[in-house]
Amino acid sequence: MKLPATGIASIVLLACVGCGPGRVSAPAADVGAAEKIRATLVSSSGAAAAGDAASAAPTGTGWATLRGRFTFAGAAGEAKALVVDKDTEVCSKAGVKLLDRSLLVDPSTKGIANVVVFARKASRSKPPAAEAADGATPLSSLFDQKNCEFLSPVFAARVGQPFEVRNSDPIGHNTNIAGTSFNQLIPAGAGTAYKPDAETGMPTMVTCNIHPWMKAYAIFRKDGYVAVSAKDGSFSIADLPAGEVIEFQVWHERSSGPNGAVGIEKPELKWTPKGRFQVQLAPDEIKDLGALEIPAGALGT
Amino acid sequence: MKPSSPNAFLSLLLIACGGVLAVGCGQTPPASYRLNMVEATKQRLTPVQERQVATILEAMFGTPDAPVALPETGLDESKLRLASGPVRSDIVGRKNGLYREHCAHCHGVTGDGMGPTAAFLNPYPRDYRPGVFKFKSTERADKPTHADLHRILVNGIAGTSMPSFALLSEPKIEALVEYVKYLSIRGETELALMRAFFELDDDAAGVLPETREFLVDETLSPIAEKWKSAAAAQIAVPDMPADIDLAASIAKGRELFYGDKANCVKCHGVTGLGDGQANDYDDWNKAIVEIRKEIEGGLSKPASSGGTAEEAAEERAQAAWLARFSRVVEGDALKPRTIPPRNLRLGLYRGGRRPLDLYYRIHAGINGAPMPAAKGTVPPEDIWHIVNYIRSLPYEFDGELGVDRPMVARDRF
Repeated sequence: MKLPATGIASIVLLACVGCGPGRVSAPAADVGAAEKIRATLVSSSGAAAAGDAASAAPTGTGWATLRGRFTFAGAAGEAKALVVDKDTEVCSKAGVKLLDRSLLVDPSTKGIANVVVFARKASRSKPPAAEAADGATPLSSLFDQKNCEFLSPVFAARVGQPFEVRNSDPIGHNTNIAGTSFNQLIPAGAGTAYKPDAETGMPTMVTCNIHPWMKAYAIFRKDGYVAVSAKDGSFSIADLPAGEVIEFQVWHERSSGPNGAVGIEKPELKWTPKGRFQVQLAPDEIKDLGALEIPAGALGT
Repeated sequence: MKPSSPNAFLSLLLIACGGVLAVGCGQTPPASYRLNMVEATKQRLTPVQERQVATILEAMFGTPDAPVALPETGLDESKLRLASGPVRSDIVGRKNGLYREHCAHCHGVTGDGMGPTAAFLNPYPRDYRPGVFKFKSTERADKPTHADLHRILVNGIAGTSMPSFALLSEPKIEALVEYVKYLSIRGETELALMRAFFELDDDAAGVLPETREFLVDETLSPIAEKWKSAAAAQIAVPDMPADIDLAASIAKGRELFYGDKANCVKCHGVTGLGDGQANDYDDWNKAIVEIRKEIEGGLSKPASSGGTAEEAAEERAQAAWLARFSRVVEGDALKPRTIPPRNLRLGLYRGGRRPLDLYYRIHAGINGAPMPAAKGTVPPEDIWHIVNYIRSLPYEFDGELGVDRPMVARDRF
């Protein structure tokens, strides 16, 4: 009776297991709740938001500056060489190897470059013309590429302010900014203007499809309150509205947090795992947050 | 009868199991929209948050059997009813359920491009949910016009599995175009809702506001608006000069093709066979490639020894998330495939073979694909030269007159 037994066993197994491992189960909608929501969506009357005006009203006057410096608790390790297999006469000129720039730590200061800090929302902002005073790093108006590398690994710009996408190489590139309308040919030695028309939220990837190893990130903010940390990890955002609690978002390419958010232990700034912290500034204050140490485990390898 | 021997017991079991297999598990449940599990897992939504998205989507868009179109979508609900639901005939004998009859087996009930046959097709069927369409007459990031989608349905897409539906009556085509827009708006809304959890303030306790202001004014309307403004975003194409010297134009186009300005050669190859840059992905596949990289990188990371209990717990949670993500990607995404640049020697153009179609492709690039836009850096008359050169490629004369040898593409290049 060996054979039927095996057959039965397999039938039982099949009946119980079904046909393969299948997909992860997806939740179903709550039908009752859905109908209720639909009722509120369809009746447009009475939907006028009451009491929402409070959050938009400016609560202070004057402007202030925020500074700080990101350091890394771990070791950066040896930067990996990128695979450069096209146009090597330009891209690997004189045997120069292009390196992975996703984690740049300055050995002497422990400063970590290309950390992005931006204000999530501010009730008011200074118009663009008044920017770049107070010695703060102004937002660049040039996004360049040379030797098959984007010169800014992380590029910040203000929505509505045009910047030039330039190609300083003797060969053609294309610049493809994910999530935007921009993917254009940039002929050798030429450039074209791009005016970002919407905020990106977190930084978005910039690539060249002709040379797949080329990668950078771009972030566009309406209020221009965004900074990218320098080689020594320092950043500065000027002309912030004083007298209100501003929430900032911190991002790094290699962060293992959600959407690249960098969470650090800093209860006095109400730093959350979503990489956000809060600061309130007084008029004309220049607040220095000092050294902000990112733990080694926060950045994936 | 008491089963007295193992034999009798086994027979009973066999009958019972056979019964289960023959009858199955009762009536087939009504079709439902499957949540975008890849994005839900990427955004690390909790089961409660996933359910909230499913509930909001049902409120805003209904079900596959009973679609809802809020007035802000600009969609015609009567057309959607013709296209939705199971395949059936109504009281006057009119066919209903057109989407499931003609489209769902490839594009999926949810429009996720993952119907039962999708995995066997190359290229994969379009996933409507990101709201990105390739072959259209509008600028790169703009939606296709109604006429663009209509043309695709009537003509099909040459070189792919997308057939022509020219035999369907006009009202049926109209209904299907409307339904594709509906699924696309629904999918984009779903993505926006899932991404909105991350943008929530911390005092929102991880719950999206279920207000008209948030759901319609902030989320749905901007998406629907882009569809409504598509017709206005159509590319203005200057006529090709009527007195153009075709031979000279082709020569100029050839120069541009190989030159640094247009740079077509980099991807389409020195032969034009599409064998240049051939290891890139389109946006749909690239998203999965990036996720797979993240999962593999995370899973191969050695567990750190030492550290506080809190850090260890965090690490375990991360590992569990990665393991689940890997299962989700296995079941809810197709295996990524690279996108080869078009072979320009075949005379087969997916977005249409009219000179105008080629002009659109070169001017605006192809949304979702690596093909960049030439506008801005290449003037319109040069784009026409490239169009003329491209159109000459399948018929390019390659050798000496009178040389007698078989014209096999492989031999020629």
